[in-house]
Amino acid sequence: MPGSEVSGGPSDGGPPEETFRLHPLTPIALGGRVLGLLVAITLLGLAERGSSGGPRWPQVIVFGGLAVLVVVRGFITVAVTSYHLMGGELRIDNGLFQKQSKRIRLDRVQSVDVLEPLSARIFGLAEVKVTTAGSERAAVRLRYLALPEARSLRADLLGRSAGVGEGSPEAPERVLVTVPHGRLVGSVLLEMISWRLLLLAIGPALAVVGQSNGHRATAGIGIAIFVWFAVLIVHAVWQRLNFLWEFTVTESPDGLRVRHGLLSTSRQTVPPGRIQAILIHQPMSWRPFGWVQVRMNVAGYGRRGSTKRATLIPVIDRQFAERLVGWVLGGVDLDDIPLTRPPRRAAVRAPLWWRAQGAGADDRVFVARHGLLSRTIDIVPHQRTQSLRIAAGPVQRALGLASVHLDSTPGPVKTRAANRDAGEARTLLDRQVERGRAARRMATPGGQVPAPQAT
Amino acid sequence: MRRALVAASVIPLAAVALGLAAASRLAGLIAGIAAVLVLVWAWSAVGRNFRSWGYVERADDLMVTHGAMFRKLTVVPYGRMQLVDVKAGPIERAFGLVNVKLHTAAATTDAQVRGLSPADAGSLRDRLTALGEAHSAGL
Repeated sequence: MPGSEVSGGPSDGGPPEETFRLHPLTPIALGGRVLGLLVAITLLGLAERGSSGGPRWPQVIVFGGLAVLVVVRGFITVAVTSYHLMGGELRIDNGLFQKQSKRIRLDRVQSVDVLEPLSARIFGLAEVKVTTAGSERAAVRLRYLALPEARSLRADLLGRSAGVGEGSPEAPERVLVTVPHGRLVGSVLLEMISWRLLLLAIGPALAVVGQSNGHRATAGIGIAIFVWFAVLIVHAVWQRLNFLWEFTVTESPDGLRVRHGLLSTSRQTVPPGRIQAILIHQPMSWRPFGWVQVRMNVAGYGRRGSTKRATLIPVIDRQFAERLVGWVLGGVDLDDIPLTRPPRRAAVRAPLWWRAQGAGADDRVFVARHGLLSRTIDIVPHQRTQSLRIAAGPVQRALGLASVHLDSTPGPVKTRAANRDAGEARTLLDRQVERGRAARRMATPGGQVPAPQAT
Repeated sequence: MRRALVAASVIPLAAVALGLAAASRLAGLIAGIAAVLVLVWAWSAVGRNFRSWGYVERADDLMVTHGAMFRKLTVVPYGRMQLVDVKAGPIERAFGLVNVKLHTAAATTDAQVRGLSPADAGSLRDRLTALGEAHSAGL
């Protein structure tokens, strides 16, 4: 936190403080693509013969100078940054002129990630990202450490976070899910196939129309548009595959671990009980295969990163997903929770898809379902519900309907029982308030039942 | 306060009506009637909206309701409150009004008590903060 004490060593009689520094190769890895480009241009300038016969000195001096500046800045950052582990606290000091000191209470940690972007991975370096509840900016990023050091730091942080103790070794893990390459590629391609295909058709349509009317310019523009959209789609597919490659979910005493990535890899660890809400989503094009994806709300992941970091499983069989989600939430059987539809008159407001809407609850979780073509099931434990809302617009009020919203931390899961009978909505709200109170009183940690096995 | 704003909007409406009246009698008459109707509707809508605001401090949670057209009812358990915000904009300050807003870890929580007197707002905030500490349940 800025403004708190800046230097402060260990207080008398307190637990011993361990001090670490960033890896000396950090400046080069931090420079990443920009640095690579600068160096490349400089080298080109050196190699090429200018008009005078010698190397192109202006080019070499400008770009070489910039490269040196980037590296020097990086070195200063490394020199003035240090992090300290003390009991249940992590402290990061940095800043050359304007000193800054951040303290994090480890029992508040929501997730610990080890990230290896390509530029760092080349040098065997990794970033440790500690996410706390609050905005995404509140996350602490330690860039960069040697990979083994990063991994042991993660284990240590998670151990301290759970109150197990200091210097805990990496907890043993058990694989729950691995996503086969073929299925990942197939699912990503199928997910891309949707309304985007219509965009792809615009170009050829223009080209054909242009050609038949003798407008060569129109035809040219049509082809250009086609190429442009094709490049965009290929790029999007590549990004998703690069991010989700080798997707593995494992279970260990310090939490759920998610590992993935082709060129840049990432390992997330979410300690037990940090998942605020979960959804199971099935895009329309996946329905013939029975595939679904699972996404989650974790405090501090924020909305921007929600599409990526919030992925718990990119593609999996529906039955297995339901069992796994039930297990993650502490032994809930989703099949046992009866869901009820909105009353028939809701068809005025949600013409066809009112039939797909449904909501229900047991003593642990609230479940809501929606979507006629692409289907989504939202699940939020009573214990994690932040606040409850009833909302009714003019049309809903005229029909005697109301929607009940269950607020969770920012993320992909937005649970709501849509278009219920107004009286029922009020009863539902009151019962949820009651269930939430009961659940908070006897907070039960999740994940004590053995995990389901992939079949 | 909103009624005052509605009253203030009479002036441009009247100006428009007068302008039209200068152009033609009939247009001026129609515009005048329309303006009066809009004003009457706005006046009553503001009244309904004003009456729709309410809050109840219950044993374990705060219940806030508002909205005449889009009706909303929010329940925030005291244990879930992350911070209580007391705010007043320039126009509200001129009328001596204050808003109290509750924040939870969810960004979608929409719990606001508007139009309190500063003394009421202060005491509500203090009570809520105390209750929040007593019930604190983490995330």
